[in-house]
Amino acid sequence: MKNIYIFFYFFSIFLVAENYEPFQSTYEPLPPTNTIFRNANIYDGEGNELINTDLIIKDGKVVAIGIDLLSSDDLKEIDASGKWITPGIIDIHSHMGVYPAPSVKTSSDGNEATSPVTAEVWAEHSIWVQDPQYALALKGGVTTFHVLPGSANLIGGRGVTAKNLQRNTITSMKFPNAPHSLKMACGENPKRVYGNRGQMPSTRMGNAAGYRKSWIKAQSYLSKLDEYEAKSDEAKELSYKPTRDLELETLAGVLRDEILVHNHCYRADEMATMIEIAKEFNYKITAFHHAVEAYKIADLLAENNICAALWADWWGFKHEAYDMVQANIAIVDQARNGTGCAIVHSDDEIGIQHLNVEAAKALSAGIKAGFNISKARAINWITSNPAKAAGIYDKTGSLKVGKNADVVLWSKNPFSIYALAEKVYIDGAIAFDRYSGLEPSSDFDVGIMNPSKNRIEL
Amino acid sequence: MIKNKLFLAYTILAFNAAFIESSNMVIKNAEIYDGIENNSYQGHILIREGVIAKISKTSVPYADKVYDAKGKIITPGFIAPDTQIGIVEIGALSVTRDDESSIYSIGFSIHDAFNPNSVLIPWNRANGITSAITLPRNTSSPIGGLGSFFILDSKLDILSEADVAMIGRLGGSGSSSRSESLALIDDILSFASSLDKKNMLTDASIDEIIDDSSIASYMDFKPRDVKALYRLFNDDLPIIIKSHRASDILKLIELKNTYDLNLIIMGAQEASLVVDKIAESKIPLIVNPINNIPNSFDELASNINMTSMLEKAGITLMFNVSRSHNYHLIRQGAGVAVANGMSYGGAIKALTSNVAETFNLKNRGSIKVGNIADIVVWEDDPLEPSSMPEKVIINGIDTDLTTRSTRLRDRYIRDLEKPNTYRN
Repeated sequence: MKNIYIFFYFFSIFLVAENYEPFQSTYEPLPPTNTIFRNANIYDGEGNELINTDLIIKDGKVVAIGIDLLSSDDLKEIDASGKWITPGIIDIHSHMGVYPAPSVKTSSDGNEATSPVTAEVWAEHSIWVQDPQYALALKGGVTTFHVLPGSANLIGGRGVTAKNLQRNTITSMKFPNAPHSLKMACGENPKRVYGNRGQMPSTRMGNAAGYRKSWIKAQSYLSKLDEYEAKSDEAKELSYKPTRDLELETLAGVLRDEILVHNHCYRADEMATMIEIAKEFNYKITAFHHAVEAYKIADLLAENNICAALWADWWGFKHEAYDMVQANIAIVDQARNGTGCAIVHSDDEIGIQHLNVEAAKALSAGIKAGFNISKARAINWITSNPAKAAGIYDKTGSLKVGKNADVVLWSKNPFSIYALAEKVYIDGAIAFDRYSGLEPSSDFDVGIMNPSKNRIEL
Repeated sequence: MIKNKLFLAYTILAFNAAFIESSNMVIKNAEIYDGIENNSYQGHILIREGVIAKISKTSVPYADKVYDAKGKIITPGFIAPDTQIGIVEIGALSVTRDDESSIYSIGFSIHDAFNPNSVLIPWNRANGITSAITLPRNTSSPIGGLGSFFILDSKLDILSEADVAMIGRLGGSGSSSRSESLALIDDILSFASSLDKKNMLTDASIDEIIDDSSIASYMDFKPRDVKALYRLFNDDLPIIIKSHRASDILKLIELKNTYDLNLIIMGAQEASLVVDKIAESKIPLIVNPINNIPNSFDELASNINMTSMLEKAGITLMFNVSRSHNYHLIRQGAGVAVANGMSYGGAIKALTSNVAETFNLKNRGSIKVGNIADIVVWEDDPLEPSSMPEKVIINGIDTDLTTRSTRLRDRYIRDLEKPNTYRN
C-alpha cells in the first residue's frame, strides 16, 4: 500500500515535470495610477484624431474616451489641454538586452553565428535585464518592444515581446501571452557570414535552399508529432513520443501557426522568393523587416497580408539597401486601397527613442509623393500595426475601451521634433514622469561614475 | 505623355540654371536666419554672379529673376563637418570605399578620390546640405589622415579645398593602453614641432629628417606624412581628435596648450563633466546631440542635455550623426538639441557658420554681403525633419532637387500601366 503511494507520488512529480512550461511570463504591473486626462488631443491608434477629448484609465485598462466624461473620487485629474495623447509606442525591431549598452563583446549576445540555422535559440535567454537602454526608450514613449536575434543566420531563433518595465528577470518583463516569433534573414548577411567560412550558404540560391531544407525537416517532425498526438492514450503508451528537438519544435510551431515569422529581407525579388517558400510549406510571414525595397512589391505584400517594418530613411550601408525611397512606408501603407500594413521600426538604440519623429519623416515623404495620409493614420505605424505584427493587438496598440492602458502624454503634437513624452503609463501605471523626476534606472546606472549618484545625474 | 512633360521640365530647369548663373536673382520677403545673429529678420537678398551682393530690410533690390519666399525661413546651406560623402558609396562594399590607405598614415589625403557623381550628393543636397567635410576612416594610429572640404553641386569640375583638417583618436581601443596612445601623440607632435622650413624643401631632405628621428622611422613615415605634420605648426591646420572620456578630454586640453594646437574634439560624449575646462580652452566640439547612449565605457556620461549645457558655457559646437549616408540628419540632431534646451539660433550656427569659422572655409556658412550664395529656402521650420528644402542654392545657382530616391519613388507610383522597366 505504502509502495503504491510512493509510486503515485513519484508519478505525480513526473507528470508535473512533464507538463511544466518553462519561461512563462511572470509580469506584474505597477500599482495603477487611475487617471482622467481632461481636454487632450488624442490619436487613438485606430485612425482617429479626437480633439479636446477626455480619457479615463483605471485598474490598468482604458475605461472611457469621450467628451466631458464624468470623473470620480478615485481618479487623479490631469489637465491635458493643448497636449497630445497616443497609445504607448511599440518597437517591432529592437535588440535591447541582446545588444545592450555598453556595446562590448561580453554581452553582445544577439547572433548565434555558428550555424546558418539556429531555430533552437531564444533571444530571451540572451537578454541582459540591466541594459541601461530600456529607460531611455521609455522616455521616448516606448511601452512594448519586440527583441529579435540578429540576422547572421538564415533562421536565427525565437524573438520575444516584452513590456518596457525593467525588472531583474526576463520572465517578469515578458508580455503575458504574447506569441513567440521566429527570426529569419535573407540576403547579404547569411551568405557573407557563412560564405566567408567556405560553407553554405555563400549565395542567395544557397540561402533559399537552406530555408527549404529546414522546412522539409520541420514538416517531417511535425507529421510524426501529429501522428503521435492523434493516438489514443492506450496507443500512446505502446509507442514512443518523438524525441524532443529544440530546433524542429520552433519550426513546427511556425507550421502550426503558433509562432510568428519576422523576416529580415531588403530586396523586393528576395521577398517575393520568401513568399513562394512560405506558400510551398504553408506557413505565414508576419512581417518583412528593413525591406528597403518594399515599395517595389507593396501590392504583393498587401495581398498576402504581410506587414513591412521599415526605417524612415536609412540606406546605403549595404548594396541591398541602396534603393532607398523615403516614401517606402507610405507606399506600403497605401497599397491595395490602403490595406497595406506599414510599421516604422528602429533596430537602433537611438532611433527607438524617437519613433514619433521617424514616423513624421515617413509621413512627410508620403504626402510629398501625393498620398493623402493623416497623422491619425500615421500614428498606427508605431502603435497598432506593430501590435498586430507582435500578435498583441487584442491587448494593446490602441486606446480602445477594455485594452491595456499603455498611454503616452506628449507636450506637443508627437509629429514634431520638439514634442517630449511627459508621462508614460504601462498597464495604467505611471512608469515615467518627466516633471516629477519619476524614472527607472538599471543597476548598471548605479554609482558607476560617482558612487553616490546614478550614471546621468551630473 | 508624362515622359514628355518631364523632358520639358528638365529642359526648363537646365535653361534656368544657365540663366541664373550668368545673371542675378533676388529672394524677397524671407525670414532670414543668417548664421551670425541668434534671431531672424525679414529681408530681401540679392545674389549677383554667385555672391550675396546686397541684403535689404526695406525695398526689394532689382533683379532679372525674383523669388518670393514670403512666409518661408531661409538659412545658409548647412555644412556637415564629419562625413564620408564622395568616398564611400556603399558601406559594406569595399570596392566602393576610398577612405583608407595602407601606405600613408598622417599624410593620407582622400581629396583625389572624391566622386562628384555619388548618389549621396544629390540626396544630402536635397535635404539642405550644400557642402561637407569628408574624412578618411580612423586607422589604428592615434593620428592619421587628412579630410577635405567639398561643395556638393555634383559638378565634375570639383570645387573643393584639399586637406582642411587632420584626424586622430584617443580612447579605449581594446588593444593597447590609452597611455600609450597619448605618449605616441606626444612623440609625434614633438617631432612635428621641431620641423624646420629649410628641411622641408625636397623629399630627399625630408627623408633625412625621418632617418634621424626614431619616432618617424618607427612610424614608417613618408615625406607626405611629414609635410602634413609640418602644416599643424606652420599652417595652423585644424586637428580633429575623436575622444569621449572626460579624463581623456582633459589630457587633450593639456596637449593643445603644450603645442598650441588648433584642436577640435569630436564625439566628446562626456564633455558635460568638464564643461568649464573645455570652455576655457576654447576648443570647438563636434557632437551628436541625439546620441545619449553609453555605448562604451568611455561614454558613460552620455546624456541628452549635454548639447545645451555646452552651448550655455559658450563652447563652439558643430554636429555629426552616428549612422552613414544621411549626413543631413545633423538637422534632426539640431532639433533634438533645441527640444532639450539649446537655443534655436545657436543650433542654426552649429549647422553653418561654426563649421565655416572652425575650418576656415572662406566666404561660406553665413548670409552676409560678399559671401558666396549657399542658401536654402525651407518649406517650414528647418529643424523639423518633416520639413524639406524648397530651394537649394549653391554658388548662387539654383540646384536640381531630384534624387535617385525620388526617381525610384516615381517609378513605382506613376505610369503604373506600363511594365516597371519601361517607366521613367
